[in-house]
Amino acid sequence: MAADITLLFKASVKTVKTRNKALGLLDSSSRDETGGAKRARARDSFSGRAREVISNISKLKDFLLQHRKDYVNAGSVMCSDVSRMTDSERDQIDQDAQIFMRTCADAIGQLRSDMGKQVVSAQVKDHRAAVLDLIEAYLRGVCKLYSEQRAVRVKRVVDKKRLNVRTCVCLCVYFVSVCVCVADKLVSDSNVDLWEDNRVEDDLSPEEIQMFEQENQRLVGEMNSLLDEVRQIEGKVVEISRLQEIFSEKVLHQETEIDSIHQLVVGATENVKEGNEDIREAIKNNAGFRVWILFFLVMCSFSLLFLDWYDG
Amino acid sequence: MAASIREKQTAALKRMLNFNAPPLKNTTAEPVWKVLIYDRFGQDIISPLLSVKELRDMGITLHLLLHSDRDPIPDVPAIYFVMPTEENTDRICQDLRNQLYESYYLNFISAISRSKLEDIASAALAANAVNQVTKVFDQYLNFITLEDDMFILCNQNKEHISYHAINKPDIMDTDMEAIMDTIVDSLFCFFVTLGAVPIIRCPRGNAAEMVAVKLDKKLRENLRDARNSLFTGDTMGTGQFSFHRPLFVLADRNLDLATPLHHTWTYQALIHDVLDFHLNRVSVEESQGSEASPAGARPKKKNKKSYDLTGADKFWQKHKGSPFPEVAEAVQEELDTYRAQEDEVKRLKSIMGLEGEDDGAISMLSDNTAKLTSAVSSLPELLEKKRLIDLHTNVATAVLDHIKSRKLDVYFEYEEKLMSKSTLDKSLLDIISDPDAGTAEDKMRLFLIYYITSQQPPSEADLEQYKKAMVDAGCDLSSLNYIKQWKAFTKMAATPANYGSSGVKPMGLFSRVMNTGSQFVMEGVKNLVLKQHNLPVTRILDNLMEMKSNPETDDYRYFDPKMLRGSESSIPRNKNPFQEAIVFVVGGGNYIEYQNLVDYTKARQGKRVLYGCSELFNAAQFMKQLSQLGQK
Repeated sequence: MAADITLLFKASVKTVKTRNKALGLLDSSSRDETGGAKRARARDSFSGRAREVISNISKLKDFLLQHRKDYVNAGSVMCSDVSRMTDSERDQIDQDAQIFMRTCADAIGQLRSDMGKQVVSAQVKDHRAAVLDLIEAYLRGVCKLYSEQRAVRVKRVVDKKRLNVRTCVCLCVYFVSVCVCVADKLVSDSNVDLWEDNRVEDDLSPEEIQMFEQENQRLVGEMNSLLDEVRQIEGKVVEISRLQEIFSEKVLHQETEIDSIHQLVVGATENVKEGNEDIREAIKNNAGFRVWILFFLVMCSFSLLFLDWYDG
Repeated sequence: MAASIREKQTAALKRMLNFNAPPLKNTTAEPVWKVLIYDRFGQDIISPLLSVKELRDMGITLHLLLHSDRDPIPDVPAIYFVMPTEENTDRICQDLRNQLYESYYLNFISAISRSKLEDIASAALAANAVNQVTKVFDQYLNFITLEDDMFILCNQNKEHISYHAINKPDIMDTDMEAIMDTIVDSLFCFFVTLGAVPIIRCPRGNAAEMVAVKLDKKLRENLRDARNSLFTGDTMGTGQFSFHRPLFVLADRNLDLATPLHHTWTYQALIHDVLDFHLNRVSVEESQGSEASPAGARPKKKNKKSYDLTGADKFWQKHKGSPFPEVAEAVQEELDTYRAQEDEVKRLKSIMGLEGEDDGAISMLSDNTAKLTSAVSSLPELLEKKRLIDLHTNVATAVLDHIKSRKLDVYFEYEEKLMSKSTLDKSLLDIISDPDAGTAEDKMRLFLIYYITSQQPPSEADLEQYKKAMVDAGCDLSSLNYIKQWKAFTKMAATPANYGSSGVKPMGLFSRVMNTGSQFVMEGVKNLVLKQHNLPVTRILDNLMEMKSNPETDDYRYFDPKMLRGSESSIPRNKNPFQEAIVFVVGGGNYIEYQNLVDYTKARQGKRVLYGCSELFNAAQFMKQLSQLGQK
């Protein structure tokens, strides 16, 4: 457990002040303005803008959280009309949020390039780079909020569509059966009228009924299989889009690493080339050296011969 | 003490880094950036607990040493975490004068004195920066936590409180006072962080007793001062309603000199003994392959790689106390499970290839996309696992190389037999004169253990023989002088320490532990099984915790800082066995004792034991101190 001795510190400040006054030292109140002005100037540029970006992102976050309940509420029949949001409003929110996030990301990029241009010490550079990383992480967190919301909405839309297709199919089946009944009735009416006339038609109508029923069954089966396929495809598409997001993130992540590897490889080829040059020169020097040695030895032997001849 | 000491210290540090306000749980809170400035003490305290990434997550953009050149970074609050020494306060005053940062949060590792506080106050006044100094705190964190239940006092300047400093013959009273003050200060900070007032027991007549007396006095003074007491208020409110007060056992290194010299067989202790390991960071030398270098070329440089062994590393937490062959097997198992998972991920690739050809496999697709999503999300975990496996493989290989070259298993077995007084199958002289087995240091260690544990000292003729053999092997005999003195002294005081019965069963000489497919072919290394045995420190703890009566511990003094009047008696008022205990060894400790205590705790349910020492040394460092003492 830590002990807060700030009050003790303030008390010692007072003690020192009174001691200084007693000793008659100069009071340092005149330095107020200069210190304040220096500090005010330094507050501009980087940290001010960084703080602006953060406040913008916070505004976005608050906005998203505020309307989250309405946004996500997929309009079940039981909720009141006051809080419901139409789809166009939701689209509007999506668009606005995306534009906002893009502007924030641009602002961060802008800050980064500006920072690169300024000439400041290494520590300040590191500090600013870390600050920008923190802001980016914050933006990413808020974007995640937004994308979660959106995923929930898309899922609900897909479910709704599934539900609609099903109701459509049920309605179709119902209508078809109604038609069949009506047709039956008509047929039976016509049969009643024509009974006395044609007996042959009586025999045909139950077959027709059966045929109609079979056709109905077939239609229902087809609808069901279509329904299944459509449902599966929609599910797959949503999953694929999610996977693609993950993959693109990973690929971007690897881009920086690949760049650095590229740099290293380029440097390595340069070094190897220079190395080859050096080796070639060394071989030449070696050969030249050998020639001179041979020449020297031959000259020495000739001079010896000459001296010998001269002497003898 | 439901939360371990490591968690408590980490929580205290995180609170400090959050401007001394309790940290919020909200994950998407606005980032606030700050700069952290520490001195070497602060660095040692923070580095085993928080990684650089965690610091970044808390908003620390830069972390700098106090005494380095620092540039002014305007508009940023700075958090200082330093010891309240003269140079540090001077440097802080200089910073205030140079107006490096916007606001200053000063945190002192232990309590700062009034006069130094006034120095800073006057510097702040002179620089007209009083309003910038936003908060000043005494953090009471002057100790280093290495494990959940292990702490040491300090890493910098540890020569001042080392075994050598405490036991040297020409020590002056003032020096001793200074050493005791340092130790007591750190122990006091430890108890403040723990939030409990212990009952202190210590033996009579040595450094441990002095420490206990001082600590008792300090705790008592603090408790009396009801206004500023550090043990009321928050600590009780944070839900630690422990009606049991912990037991604090102070032991002195002189009680047991054989354990620090012992060759060991458990993973963590081996790493500490054989490789370069401190503050949970191990540095391993990696040689660049074994091709013969052509004549005239420069010798191949050895790479030094360092690894952090932290609490998040599950393999380490599980196996740091296991015997080495078990560790080798476990690494192999981990590698196999990792390979199986990797293969599964690769298999998905072929299935995805199948999808393009066969349109009718839509039903299979749903399973595969689910598998793919899970595989992608589990990839970072897999990579992390691979990194840990590589780490442990490298470390274990390095340790194994040392074991093989120095035949440490032979030493271990022999020493265990010596310490348990069972029959020896090889004579000591054989091992000492054997040129392959171990370095000169190992032989010296073995001989010292023999000397310490033998009931009567060897005869003069034997001693001369041994000395000659050791000098031939290149050992330095000055430590032997010191041990002779020590033995004579302790013989007068008490019976020599009994190391308890233990047995060592070698499981199959020259047995291959691993199959040929693995990297750990431990041929020629005996697979030794450790039987449970208690070191002297553990036995003392056991007696005191369970209130057993034993001639060794009955004479221990008893201190209770909460009692109104201090008593000189050694009769404990409390008759119940204790649930929690803290063992502190004055003069230095090591991982072997720690491991022994951990094993003891595991055998008993519901007991918690913390281990602390004034410094942590391995056998080599201890030998150096002994030789320094012997040379005087």
